[in-house]
Amino acid sequence: MIAVEQLKKSFGKHAVLRGISMRQQKGEIVVVIGPSGCGKSTFLRCLNQLETMDSGQVTVAGITFNEKPTDHATQHRLRLRAGMVFQSFNLFPHLTVMQNITLAPVRGNGEPRDRAESRARELLKKVGLLERADFYPSQLSGGQQQRAAIARALAMQPEVMLFDEPTSALDPELRGEVLRVMRDLAEEGMTMLVVTHEMNFARAMADHVLFFDDGLIAEEGAPEQIFNESRNARTREFLSHFAENYRRTGGT
Amino acid sequence: MKIRFVGGAAIFLAAFAVLFSARADDALQRIQKSGVLKWGADAEGGAPYVFPDPQQPEKLIGFEVEIADALAHKFGARAEMVQNQWDGLVPALQRGNFDIVLNGLEITEEHRRQIAMSQPYYVYSQQIITRKDNVALTNLASLKGHAVGTLSGTVAQRIMEKAGGVDVRVYPGQVEPFRDLNNGRIDAVMLDRPIAVYYLTKEPNLKMSGDPFAPGYYGIGVRKEDQTLLLALNQGIAELLADGTLEKIYRKWNLWDKNQLLLVNYHEEQPTAQKNAPVSTFRNWRTYLPMLLKGALVTVEISVLAMALAIACGLALALTRLHGIAPLRWLAVAYIEVIRGTPLLIQLYLIYYGLPNVGIRLNAFVAAVLGLGLNYAAYEAENYRAGIQAIPRGQMEAALSLGMNRWLSLRAVVLPQAIRIVIPPVTNDFIALFKDSSLVSVITMVELTKVYGMLALTTYDYMGLGLMTAALYFGLSYPVSLLAKRLERKLHRDRR
Repeated sequence: MIAVEQLKKSFGKHAVLRGISMRQQKGEIVVVIGPSGCGKSTFLRCLNQLETMDSGQVTVAGITFNEKPTDHATQHRLRLRAGMVFQSFNLFPHLTVMQNITLAPVRGNGEPRDRAESRARELLKKVGLLERADFYPSQLSGGQQQRAAIARALAMQPEVMLFDEPTSALDPELRGEVLRVMRDLAEEGMTMLVVTHEMNFARAMADHVLFFDDGLIAEEGAPEQIFNESRNARTREFLSHFAENYRRTGGT
Repeated sequence: MKIRFVGGAAIFLAAFAVLFSARADDALQRIQKSGVLKWGADAEGGAPYVFPDPQQPEKLIGFEVEIADALAHKFGARAEMVQNQWDGLVPALQRGNFDIVLNGLEITEEHRRQIAMSQPYYVYSQQIITRKDNVALTNLASLKGHAVGTLSGTVAQRIMEKAGGVDVRVYPGQVEPFRDLNNGRIDAVMLDRPIAVYYLTKEPNLKMSGDPFAPGYYGIGVRKEDQTLLLALNQGIAELLADGTLEKIYRKWNLWDKNQLLLVNYHEEQPTAQKNAPVSTFRNWRTYLPMLLKGALVTVEISVLAMALAIACGLALALTRLHGIAPLRWLAVAYIEVIRGTPLLIQLYLIYYGLPNVGIRLNAFVAAVLGLGLNYAAYEAENYRAGIQAIPRGQMEAALSLGMNRWLSLRAVVLPQAIRIVIPPVTNDFIALFKDSSLVSVITMVELTKVYGMLALTTYDYMGLGLMTAALYFGLSYPVSLLAKRLERKLHRDRR
């Protein structure tokens, strides 16, 4: 579903990604962890071309591209197949939840409005927001907003979902509802690539964990291996910051 | 014989004047004490009356400069010209900006109501000027149905308006009507003969058409209370006439004609006492308000069309500046900077008087809308740019990540949010444009401010008319503010 070969990206002199290679099968959940500024988000944004890369090759849902610009039609297909959820939700504040979800299907893809709306209602039911369909984003809590944003991305019927720290902007008590939606999605078999600091989620849901450090994958493996038997000093040091959290919540 | 009599009378009057001036510190005494006679005139396009010497632009020349020098010499003073817009010479005199007005001021009832007028120093007449190939327009009657240019606030304007049926185009300066005659925007120019005499030496394709007509007198304007100065001026004029100085000056400027003999026989008609009272335009609002409203309608038409143009062009400029390809982006930036960095007035002149040089001849209305609209487009572009940039990047990214293309993302996501932000500054600009529209009177548009100026010039009721005009402007712009406020509220319905 996703294959990345030697992906490199610099912002000016600063090398953010220094050669990332990874593979992800259909239906797999891959979680990317690592200290902030290690390039996790940039990596994700390169996959749907919100960011251009400097070199390397990427294949996402059957679309292969490299540093050369792709044509608009290819980019359009890529973004339809790879949905994205942002840290800051990025809901459109001038539109209701329903309009947020149906904007791209109706005006971008020319889908009939009633069909887009009935699918939107199904998705809203799934994320538990059906009764909020006609609310504006500013009338929703952060957790509700992020659930609406997930529904919006799902409305494009993507083959893979990219999550960019979906709970980092939320108060701790609101994170659970978003993680619950993500868990449901994973159980339905959605292919998900998740950048997160939610170690409990990673431990419980990931098929594979990538530990990013300084633009490289410093360590990767099954969650038990990374969380319990890591041989990498940087990984252990990074995870030690979360140890306290685990004990308190008792893991998941 | 007669000249000598006038001279004798003048000497007598002068003696009287000296006696009188000894008792009060009046204008004449002040002039003699300070050694400076301040005379108000408009040197902008003022040939051949008073204008900058083409060879030596810091020096003023003209037949009135020479008359002022000769008169000042008689008072033992030197003449100092004070520049003032011609339209505003009389009020400026009343305010005390200078001692006299010596600038082709016609001796008319209206002027006499406001100020004292001296003996005439020149007999002017009206002259029609056409292109060389025109043989039809030789007198006032033949002008009917034609576009005829003249100067704002002149007797010529009033003669044509009284005659009716003439499409009178009013210009602020003397050069512009000849330009428009040359390029065919108008069919004839009618104005005081001295102007025609001077400018025709520079316009090979134009000619004087028909004989001069409707003679009248130029006199010197003095404040009503400065009676001794008035007497001294009358004496001075009489002496300059008697010793041939005036004739010499006029011959030098090619302005001497047999009409000037009328100067000698001039008898002042005293204004009647009841006409002395200034016209109250307030009391006669039924007459004046409809005229102002007609001007206001033109103002509204120009402003609304210009703003629509500014909004459309401004949006295109802002989007080009933010999302356009490189050369177009630079062009947009250059346009915005150049337009913002140059005066609107110059831009209007260029569009109206400059473009005909390259074969583009726009009528005044189109030029006014284009000039204002393209000018404000630069300001609107910056408003929109600020508004668009105020929308977080994540909005665009979210739209793109949903597979929407850049243009649809802009249209459906970024712009609707940006519009809410820019409503207050755009409203502000619309109201500013509404008032700036008064500038288009320089390209012959008769809008609200111009109507005010013309009415004030004939009635001298600057106060009453000014209040009415200001009320009209406010009455038209305030609803725009209210409308904008409502729109803003409506668009913010999702904000709690």
